[in-house]
Amino acid sequence: MSKLGQVVESVEKYNKFVLDQVKRARSDEKFGRDLLGRWNDIKAKIPATRTPTGLALPRLALPEIDEPGEIARYLFGEGLPGEFPFLNGAYREMYLEPVREVESFEKNGEPKTGKSDKKPPQAEEPTRLFSGLMLAEDTNERFHYLTQHQRTHRLSTAFDGPTLYGMDSDADGVFGKIGEGGVAIDTVEDMMRLYDGFDLGSPNFSASMTISGPAPIIMAMYIAAAKRRFGQKVVSKLRGTIQADIFKEVQAQNETIFPIEPSLRFLTDMVEFTTREMPRWYPISISGYHIGEAGSTPVQQAAYTLSNGFAYAEMFAARRIPVDQFGPRLSFFLDCGLDAEYIALARVSRRIWAIGMRDVFGAGPRAQLYKLHTQTSGRSLIAAEFKNNLTRTAAELMLAYMNATNSCHSNSADEPFTTPSEEWIRLAAHGQAILLEESGIFKHTMNMLSGSPGMKAVERAVEAAILDEFREIERLGGVLAAVEDRYQRSQIQNAAHRYEQQIYDGTRPIIGLNKYRNGEDDAPEIKLARTPRKKQQLQVDRLAKFKKQNAEKAKRALDKLADVVERGGNCFPTLLEAVEVCSLGQITGRLQEVVGRFRPMV
Amino acid sequence: MPAPIRILTAVPICDGHDSAINTINLEFIRHGIEVIYLGYHRSVGDIVRAAIQEDVRAIGVSSYNGGHVEFFGEVVDLLRQRGASDIKVFGGGGGTITQDDAVAMKRKGVDKIFFAGTSLEEMTDYARAHYGKPRKKRARAKTPDMELAHKLTEIEDAVGKGKKHRRSNIEHRISKVVGFTGPGGAGKTTLIDELVLRFLNQNPKGRMAILSHDPSVVGEGALLGDRATMINSQDDRVFMRSMATRGQAGGLSPATHDCLALLAQSNFDYVIIETVGTGQEAMPFRRNGIVDLTVLVMNPDYGSRLQLQKIVMLDLADVVVVNKSDLQRARTAHTEIEQRLEQNRRDQRLIDTVAKRHRDPGVDRLFALISNQQEANK
Repeated sequence: MSKLGQVVESVEKYNKFVLDQVKRARSDEKFGRDLLGRWNDIKAKIPATRTPTGLALPRLALPEIDEPGEIARYLFGEGLPGEFPFLNGAYREMYLEPVREVESFEKNGEPKTGKSDKKPPQAEEPTRLFSGLMLAEDTNERFHYLTQHQRTHRLSTAFDGPTLYGMDSDADGVFGKIGEGGVAIDTVEDMMRLYDGFDLGSPNFSASMTISGPAPIIMAMYIAAAKRRFGQKVVSKLRGTIQADIFKEVQAQNETIFPIEPSLRFLTDMVEFTTREMPRWYPISISGYHIGEAGSTPVQQAAYTLSNGFAYAEMFAARRIPVDQFGPRLSFFLDCGLDAEYIALARVSRRIWAIGMRDVFGAGPRAQLYKLHTQTSGRSLIAAEFKNNLTRTAAELMLAYMNATNSCHSNSADEPFTTPSEEWIRLAAHGQAILLEESGIFKHTMNMLSGSPGMKAVERAVEAAILDEFREIERLGGVLAAVEDRYQRSQIQNAAHRYEQQIYDGTRPIIGLNKYRNGEDDAPEIKLARTPRKKQQLQVDRLAKFKKQNAEKAKRALDKLADVVERGGNCFPTLLEAVEVCSLGQITGRLQEVVGRFRPMV
Repeated sequence: MPAPIRILTAVPICDGHDSAINTINLEFIRHGIEVIYLGYHRSVGDIVRAAIQEDVRAIGVSSYNGGHVEFFGEVVDLLRQRGASDIKVFGGGGGTITQDDAVAMKRKGVDKIFFAGTSLEEMTDYARAHYGKPRKKRARAKTPDMELAHKLTEIEDAVGKGKKHRRSNIEHRISKVVGFTGPGGAGKTTLIDELVLRFLNQNPKGRMAILSHDPSVVGEGALLGDRATMINSQDDRVFMRSMATRGQAGGLSPATHDCLALLAQSNFDYVIIETVGTGQEAMPFRRNGIVDLTVLVMNPDYGSRLQLQKIVMLDLADVVVVNKSDLQRARTAHTEIEQRLEQNRRDQRLIDTVAKRHRDPGVDRLFALISNQQEANK
């Protein structure tokens, strides 16, 4: 049985354990009494808060139960926020206003007002704006503009097509794609320009890089660029995330450049290095977003993302990286659309992950957390009467926060047309602020909207459906075998096709498109920032110069890299040397000679 | 009945957005169109070469990653350079292609851009109305490959109209013809593509042709998708033609025999023919009498030993390949098939391969076997 099969068993076993605790709480008097005592203690310690209208509320809402069996079902089955199995949240408190009034809510029923002198600690701003355009210096300028008023600098980097496919800007037929949709990176020198002026070793800086196929090469360039600017010592201080999710690329996003097995090997080489040398780096972001955007059902998205995660954990554990070292460095990324499953999709995911990591992989508390970034659904946004997209995104944001996501990106309403413009980016960001800061829905009380009968029903249905998907993948021989069998791909494609059919035949109402359509064109005026040919030529010229300067050294470095890969050792340290003198395309090309090219699946 | 419309679809280089094109492909097929799907992340050169070899009526490009004005323009330009302006170019990119872009693209010679919100029906109606009329008299082909492509179309059309097109003068052929057959999912396409890679590396001037088959859906078109996975075969030294079975059982098309005969006398070192995934019936191309070497590609998961007895092709094939020999069952499969072949008392060869693995030694052995046979027969 693969680890995924064991995860299914562990969840079933855990659910049975919960039922046993419920029974025991009802039959074993001492156990029941202890639970009741613990429950009352928990309630007594809940601090109080007061809304602007003067209403007193507890900072944590709990179900109104006083029967030991139900208390057991809640504490073991769901857990308080921040407690195993984390159904209600990975952390004890999220989104809440800083504590100003410290008083127990339960004690008096009416909180005393005692202003605290202490200023609330300043949290990291949740803003992380995705950016990447034209050449490195253009994106760098944009980064500085975006962060000019912020204490913390959280940069998120989008790369252009050639970079995502591991190609150089001088490759055949890519000229028009240089700097389109993201920044063009060919060499370590580009990487230095990209983050110029930022203190890469600072605790207030973190860089996120959205790239998977050539992720180990780009990671090596980032480290090399940091070392050139700040010296060897900076390496252990680097903070950030690189996406590096090979499975979802093969299942949905199609940006894979090596065959699956060597891709996974290069990834593991990188993870082995970063967990040892860069303890503050997230070397992989396990992403369901692109699976959802490619047309999967919500359950497929959650199931494939989780099973991919468990498969990575299995791989890293097989490389003898301790689970408590790599576990806390895994993070997740989900899509949030408007289907009913999204009421509890991430909640259920968090619970399954925690149980599987604890009971199958032996992970400690920090390695059990399903740390989640959510983005609202791009696919749910449409061009017809596009201002409706504001409402769609608002509803999705509400669902994302009901699932206690750790961070969230809200899409701009003009996304169906173009890279978002400033006006609509601002509205999207403000949508989050209105929900979290202006409205009282999330800022006063944890669990404000958790645990409705409907939410419970969705949780049960979604969990059962995810486990069914796991069983099917297990039956096919595990995640890798199922991927090679195109299982996830064809499931996603079928779901996408069904979705289109439903829009076409009207069983899936899309307002303004197949229902209440007025037929008027309200497209926004679009100003596109295209990369000028002169800039594209500049990038090609720079690359030519780099290649000429390093021609001799590059040859030796590539030979050495190929040799290490042939012999089967960890190639990441050699990659770190190679990026000093080789371009992205040179390294990709040489690696492909040794391990082959990815053969697309149809 | 008029011959089905043949259209090539693809997603541009550095773009992996294939969700829209997958849906459109299915819709085209449902409306009787034969779609040659080239896949995503495809260069202008690959697209134009494939369109000419397949002699399609139009190219549909689905682009979501920017650079579309240049990319579509380059496709049109290269078609024109190659003398293939009768192949039209259409496409779309949801909201990423603006009205202004579309105007610029049309000025460059693009036939039609579909905008976000266009229904699938509108697209298929357009394709059928604009690319479905019988061709007028065609201009002289500019290159031998294009001439060959035109002739193959003539053969397919003539056979479709029930005309006998006997032109198979197989005495004059130069090429070695190797036939590949076997059940669906055994990995025939990947195996052939790996052999192509070895051939191209070993023969710097050699050329080969591939005649690949995919089933027509009953009463509908066909998805001819082999090119999408055959990354090594998209090369100027490889002439590839994808054929739909158009209602014929047995894994080949009614026009296969004549097309193969033409290819076999057209200056290729090798002609490879691949059937659709077949069942237990006899070797489909045996009766053609053109195939020099037949290769049966097996999947280790064929079921019980009894199933082997029923596979007639095991009696007829010159070479039997057990692909996916990294699977658990492969060793058993090898032994059982070996015993099965011994009954035949013929000089049949059995080779284990893992075609998906780069530089697989089993594929090397198969390649050596095929090329040695070539030497021996000269």
